[in-house]
Amino acid sequence: MILKVIILIANLFGAISRMTGRGNGVMVTGRIILKLDPGAVATLSKNRRIVLVSGTNGKTTTTSLIYNALASSMRTLSNFTGANLFAGVATALSKDTKARIAALEVDEMVLPWAIKQTRPELVVLLNLGRDQLDRLSEVRSVAQKWKEALQDLPLDCQILADADDPFVVWSAQDWAKVIWFSAGVMGHIDASTCPVCGHVLHWADGGVSYSCECGFAKPVPEWVLQDGLLFGAQGQNIEVKSQIPGHAAISNAARAVIAASLFGVPLWIAADAVSRVSSVDGRFGELHIGETKFRLLLAKNPASWRETLATSASGPKVVLLAVNANTQDGKDTSWLWDVDYAPLQGRDVLVTGERRVDVSARLTVQEIPHLIVDNEVAAAKVLGAKNADLIASYTAFHRLAKSVERP
Amino acid sequence: MTLTIVHLLPELLGTYGDRGNVDILSWRLKERGIAHDVLTIGVNDEVPTFADIYLLGGGEDDAQIAAMEILKRKDGIKRALENGAHIFAVCAGFQILGESFPASGGRKIPGLGLIAVETISAAQRSVGEVISEPTIPIATLTGFENHGGQTRFLEELQPLGHVRHGVGNGANSNVEGLVTEQIIATYMHGPALARNPELADWVLARKVGEMVPIKAPIFTQLHDERVRAVNH
Ligand SMILES: [Zn+2]
Repeated sequence: MILKVIILIANLFGAISRMTGRGNGVMVTGRIILKLDPGAVATLSKNRRIVLVSGTNGKTTTTSLIYNALASSMRTLSNFTGANLFAGVATALSKDTKARIAALEVDEMVLPWAIKQTRPELVVLLNLGRDQLDRLSEVRSVAQKWKEALQDLPLDCQILADADDPFVVWSAQDWAKVIWFSAGVMGHIDASTCPVCGHVLHWADGGVSYSCECGFAKPVPEWVLQDGLLFGAQGQNIEVKSQIPGHAAISNAARAVIAASLFGVPLWIAADAVSRVSSVDGRFGELHIGETKFRLLLAKNPASWRETLATSASGPKVVLLAVNANTQDGKDTSWLWDVDYAPLQGRDVLVTGERRVDVSARLTVQEIPHLIVDNEVAAAKVLGAKNADLIASYTAFHRLAKSVERP
Repeated sequence: MTLTIVHLLPELLGTYGDRGNVDILSWRLKERGIAHDVLTIGVNDEVPTFADIYLLGGGEDDAQIAAMEILKRKDGIKRALENGAHIFAVCAGFQILGESFPASGGRKIPGLGLIAVETISAAQRSVGEVISEPTIPIATLTGFENHGGQTRFLEELQPLGHVRHGVGNGANSNVEGLVTEQIIATYMHGPALARNPELADWVLARKVGEMVPIKAPIFTQLHDERVRAVNH
């Protein structure tokens, strides 16, 4: 069967799935495409310039920002909804056959496959941290898989990688064309041992640099982000702004500007394009439940909770936490104890989700007063006409994101 | 007398939220008004030999080996045990206390040899809820296990529990963890002492004697919810 016909059939099933309310059709469409033509992604990637984005945190936001930066100059496609597994990648590539550029978010474990299939021109590696330890492997083995997979890159492919994260550096450092980026922050909350030799890694300058007796050390970055200014090794400099709240958003915006510049988009045009993006896939979107106006935030692992709690601290006084432990959240909630909830101190805290009792126990020990509620509707009843942040784990977030009002 | 709790090498052995065990012990003591200190021992610190309760958590393979080398070099734990200290160890911490544990490439790493157990690689990683009936007089135990090793007793030892759901120590034993006069070791994350308030108090009571009960229904609720979740 020719690929065009396969895509038609797959889209039909996707539409049925959407109409019958079983899903948004993305997964169904992609699964059928790959079932009928396992090489479909390779075929659909031919004659296209591909950017792959992977890492534990910031994939969806960074991909969207790169998309916006590229789309300012060239017709580009992307897997917008965070559908970053095999089927999501296939669906995205099948949707717009005219786009010559594709910015694709890929799950950490799907990256090796995506590299082989799409023959990318650029791979953006963000960070590697603890996430869903029951499902994904420990950080080292993910880094090992990346290290092997990157050897399959086309020879002229470039990697834009985070110099702040020792495990990202270790996975990418064998490649000749790596562009190191540094946001000057401790890029890795879990890297206590050296990726090369396993000895204790020495962190210095408040977590900004690291080295080991074996010689492994932070590479000299070609691009540095400092106080919202992005500096390049060739004397480039540009101010990077983001309407998305939080420190991580500025770093992701800077990565997007660099990525777009590698595709020939002038820095200022890319920076302007990314500065206009205010919400990605429901993140920081507005949600009206009852009389309460919630701002929806995603937090899915210790690193992302820290970032999100810090961002939320300057938000409304009221905050609702919604934590589940389904497969996509990770079934082990132990990580709750690795997060410091001090930014919630002094705020009005409500707790919900399938694992609200775990969260409540955790907050009890940190002496943060809170109220347990059955769900967000019950929370809204308690709160009434107030503004509140709603920080949700992965599955809770995606259920709620459907109701977010698009800006 | 002020009780001293030592949190050993959290940078290396802290991958699975096991620091929560330290917080729980501290909180339960505080609720009772029992004076105590928590000492966090980093990779460059000496291991104190005079403290009362030492906690070891879980960690990744390299971190586990690095932690073991540091603890072996410093010898503090062994002397602390001689001074009457108690240890609560989880997962990688459990394995470190034994005779040996496995590492990548089929290597066998000698442990601290403080308990007569050895850990070898299991064919399959054990991941999921674990429920066991304790051998000590407390309620059913609940935790979340995530380990690639199976731990075998090298002599007759008292397990912490008999497994009703999950794997536990493995090696066809149907038991979970280990209890000796001074050591409690387990594969249960969760953290174990948050999910099992009676175990937390049992760990403390061994050192401080009988304690007044505290009112903290949320931990009982968490315990019962997790036990029920598996019975379904
Ligand atoms: Zn090293």
